[in-house]
Amino acid sequence: MKDSDVIVLEEPKLSLGDQFYLPQVLIGLGTTMKHMFNVVLRGKDRVVQYPEEKREDLPVEKGGMLLKTYRGVHRLNKDEEGRVKCVACFMCSTACPARCIHIEAAESPWQDREKYPAKFDIDELRCIYCGMCEEACPVDAIELTHVYDIVGLTRQEMIFDKSKLLRIFDETVAKEPM
Amino acid sequence: MPPMVNTIIDWVSTNIPPWLWILLVCHFAILGTVAYLILLERKVASWVQDRLGPNRVGLGFGIIPIIKNWHMGGLGQPLADGVKFILKEDYRPAGVDKVLFTLAPGAMILMVIVSIAVLPWGGTYQSQKTITVPATATDVTAYAGTQIPLGSSIVGDPTPVGITGNQYTITYQCSFQIAKLNIGVLFILAVLSLTVYGVVIGGWASNNKYSFLGGLRATANMISYEIPMGLSVLCIVLMFGTLQLDEIVKAQLHNWAGIVPAWNVFSQPLAFVMFLICIHAEANRAPFDMAEAEQELVGGYHTEYSAMRFALFFLAEYAGMITTSAVLVALFFGGWDFPGLRGPANDPALSTSLIICIARSLVFFIKTVVVIFVFMWVRWSLPRFRFDQLMMLAWRALIPMSLALLLMTAIVLTIFHGNISDGRASLSLLLANIAMMIVFGVVSTWIPAAPATNRKLKVLGSRYSKTPLPAELN
Repeated sequence: MKDSDVIVLEEPKLSLGDQFYLPQVLIGLGTTMKHMFNVVLRGKDRVVQYPEEKREDLPVEKGGMLLKTYRGVHRLNKDEEGRVKCVACFMCSTACPARCIHIEAAESPWQDREKYPAKFDIDELRCIYCGMCEEACPVDAIELTHVYDIVGLTRQEMIFDKSKLLRIFDETVAKEPM
Repeated sequence: MPPMVNTIIDWVSTNIPPWLWILLVCHFAILGTVAYLILLERKVASWVQDRLGPNRVGLGFGIIPIIKNWHMGGLGQPLADGVKFILKEDYRPAGVDKVLFTLAPGAMILMVIVSIAVLPWGGTYQSQKTITVPATATDVTAYAGTQIPLGSSIVGDPTPVGITGNQYTITYQCSFQIAKLNIGVLFILAVLSLTVYGVVIGGWASNNKYSFLGGLRATANMISYEIPMGLSVLCIVLMFGTLQLDEIVKAQLHNWAGIVPAWNVFSQPLAFVMFLICIHAEANRAPFDMAEAEQELVGGYHTEYSAMRFALFFLAEYAGMITTSAVLVALFFGGWDFPGLRGPANDPALSTSLIICIARSLVFFIKTVVVIFVFMWVRWSLPRFRFDQLMMLAWRALIPMSLALLLMTAIVLTIFHGNISDGRASLSLLLANIAMMIVFGVVSTWIPAAPATNRKLKVLGSRYSKTPLPAELN
């Protein structure tokens, strides 16, 4: 880089009004007063009262959110017979950039597949919700649902195991079919 | 009414001095207001930032039946906060000075509460009473003096009633404020400057660098801004020749040209602006929050404080705001002055109705809250000053300006022989104020620039500094 490429900015000179400070203060106070009026008079339209109002229920012009494209907590899908669809191929845990999926495979009790997951843990605190696992899955067993309000009191609670992931499937399958 | 009740009311009104119940009402009103001012502060902050603010905790707190699901716009929030402060762990770090650490918040709130004593809430209350003088009493006036409420004074002579000859009507007056001190505004200035001791002692006792720096800054801030504050108050004191706030309020109770109320803000706008700036600095709030300075001092003097001790500092800050705002209202906005509340023309502060006195107090209080709203509005609008800018504003701008303004006020008063009730004197003061603003605007372009503190240092050997590094010389 040459010296001629460098743009040197000078501090702007203060006008008389700036030096006196008070006119500029009044302009600033006017700006904040405008905001106060807007909120007090039209605040209910501008603010989403979260637990009662949810962004997915609002139209997009009012700050709504399209839930269909939202990647939330995972679920493990079941097949028609209610068995876990996963074949423990480790594709998802290999694809996972956050290394948050932990699978232990075991011999499948069923005839149509060789393996099934004896253990399937996802650390929801480590997960970055990128959706690579559902891209990688060859049998569409792992999916990201649209549920975003998951909570827990401890870190241990936020490591979801196989039964919990299957339960999420049961809870969300009506709203979000496979 | 049964005679029993009458006797009780009579006993209470005679033996409990009026200042005592004004004091009780004031005390609880101020402490309650402080709690709700914190809610107002949070509301104003969120409105400025396009939010709604705390609006969940109603007065039912989720447990009281029927109203437990009402939010009431967050009215229960201050009480919930108070309960939280009391129940929190009162943590005291190792290495603090135990006595001073405990003393500091108490000292601060004590000083602030004491300073509300001389606020002129409602002018003078005048009442009448019929007494029966026993035959044993020799001096009727002396006996009447024992039958009026403590702290009030008899006006005129007792008038005999009826034909029995031992019944008299007496008229007495009492001032509707806690203490009618003749040093009034001086007392407030003195006591409020003592509040900085709470900050300094708290900062020192915490045994923490940040707290200590916060305390030091508070001292420098307070010393600098006491001077222009005192001088701008002095302009008003000079105009009326009294330090008593109730007398200053009384002097503003007439109209110029029949419509404009004779409030000092119209005759001394420059003094008003300077006083407003100084009470902002005095309150140690943004944009003058050098002592707290969340950005660089992690809370400053109250870094090490928690639970109720911290809450006391917090309460003191807001109670101090109430006092200084009330003084501002009394000095510049005619105190409780409001159409319809003035008394007779010869003594406009007088009222024979208790209702009017209470209404005046409410008007005074509402005006104060409006000023406090301005405090909050300013806090959430303006960026903070740097410390050198803070000092520069006081020593290079406010102090010379207030000295010149004081001189100007004295000259105008000399021209009018001290007769300030003359409308022409007030108009001259207003014109002189405006002229001074213009003069200062012109002069400020001539005075030499400020010393270049915080100037940009050109790093040796960089493209901005042509000085070669020692290594390049060889």
